[in-house]
Amino acid sequence: MNFLLKLENISYSVRNSSSRKAESTKVILSDINFELAKGKILGFAGESGSGKTTLAKIIAGIIKPTEGNIISNFSDDWEKIKTYPVQILFQNNGDIVNPLRQIEAVIDETLQIRNRNKNIFHEKEKIFDSLNISKSIRTKKGYELSGGEQQRAALARILAARPELMILDEPFSAQDPESQWNFLNLFKKINNEYKMTMICIAHNLSLLNKLCDEMIILYDGKIVEKSLSSELFSSPNHPYTKFLLKAGNYDLKYDELKFSE
Amino acid sequence: MLNAIIDEISVNERLLLSDIKFKIEQNKIYSVLGSNGSGKTTLIKSLSGLLDKRFYSVKGKVFYKELDLLSAGYEQMLSIRRKKIKYVFQDAVNSFDHLKKFEYYFKLTAGKDSELENLLDYFLLPGVEKLFRLYPYEVSGGMAQRISFVLALLADPEILILDEPTSGIDSAISNLFLLKLKEFASIQNHTALLVTHDIKFAKKISDEIAFISKGKFYNFVPALKFFENENIIINNFLTLDISF
Repeated sequence: MNFLLKLENISYSVRNSSSRKAESTKVILSDINFELAKGKILGFAGESGSGKTTLAKIIAGIIKPTEGNIISNFSDDWEKIKTYPVQILFQNNGDIVNPLRQIEAVIDETLQIRNRNKNIFHEKEKIFDSLNISKSIRTKKGYELSGGEQQRAALARILAARPELMILDEPFSAQDPESQWNFLNLFKKINNEYKMTMICIAHNLSLLNKLCDEMIILYDGKIVEKSLSSELFSSPNHPYTKFLLKAGNYDLKYDELKFSE
Repeated sequence: MLNAIIDEISVNERLLLSDIKFKIEQNKIYSVLGSNGSGKTTLIKSLSGLLDKRFYSVKGKVFYKELDLLSAGYEQMLSIRRKKIKYVFQDAVNSFDHLKKFEYYFKLTAGKDSELENLLDYFLLPGVEKLFRLYPYEVSGGMAQRISFVLALLADPEILILDEPTSGIDSAISNLFLLKLKEFASIQNHTALLVTHDIKFAKKISDEIAFISKGKFYNFVPALKFFENENIIINNFLTLDISF
């Protein structure tokens, strides 16, 4: 088995609050099937509301699907090691890095959960080195960090938990071109150095194309296209993929703005 | 329509930007490009005296018609900012008071009801009845940004100033902004100025582009000329564009 996760017929629906009927439901995701290959980077793209983050939460075990199975193929017995092998880098890192604690203390704590009584020094140095977190940043507290530093601190904590799958939720939004490049290269480096399987959620197809091996296009809770990143740009199949590519180039006319099948 | 001659902008006596001279004419879209932290927001805020005078000092003059905005009185500026020069800020959600429903903001802005409905429809927003009952914390960032844009347009200003209109919103909605801005700037006596780090957006929308880096302002040039620039600093920035 060279897959890390296999999703079979995953669906997710919530009760429709705007309807008075008790049994009325709203479908967020329907019939999602795919395999996530070990060591690869998979991208999820689609507009706001297409179900990208919900799917990521299901994969991370934060919410349970209404229907379907996830078959996992993790190498560690994660019930013993106390950290879950799927970790998410959330969209607003600023809210997640504890503003009042030193970065190093946070990383130490995570490493100790994972390696009781073992020497954590080397692993810690390796993490800080690969994320380019200098000595002066380590002793700073969360509130003293810039946006980019906070994102790297959040990444350090994720690496300390030594997950087998890392999910990045819109890691590039609100960044300028220079930091986008820096993080793009950083994620590739982590993928390479740690043999880390990754999922990246973004609405910017050009960025995803640079990072991911494969891409999944979500529309209205369904997978409309799954293909190699190299092929998605040269020969998109689904009309929605074509729509997203055109939107990314700011080439849509007004009557093309609302995509409908 | 706007003539800025700014010698210095500083915060707590630290110099941020200096030697900025540019003119803004009608029926054009002007973009200022630059990285985060380069001073783009500071620049557009300085134009109409929006920087907090306790920390910032702006030396120079900004003429709107015959009036110097930097030495105009408070009441006069209030009226200009309400009717003539409108801003759409980057952090749209937090530019609203979270304890007031959107109804409050729409009632403040005079405008025809039919026009309001048209604009809400155009920006794929809920209708008046639903929208007026919502609080700012109940809408997404992208929605708040569109509402903020609608409010600015309702006032029918002459100059529209936008801070990072595409950051944090998906590309279909960015297309919507682009189309509306082009339409706005084509009306007589109207013009738009925006700051952004989205190189592709600037390329698509602008007639003239300026650049800010490390405290230096590189003046507006026609968009085509900007992308054939021979300046090393500007070229380095342009090569960072991932979106090709």
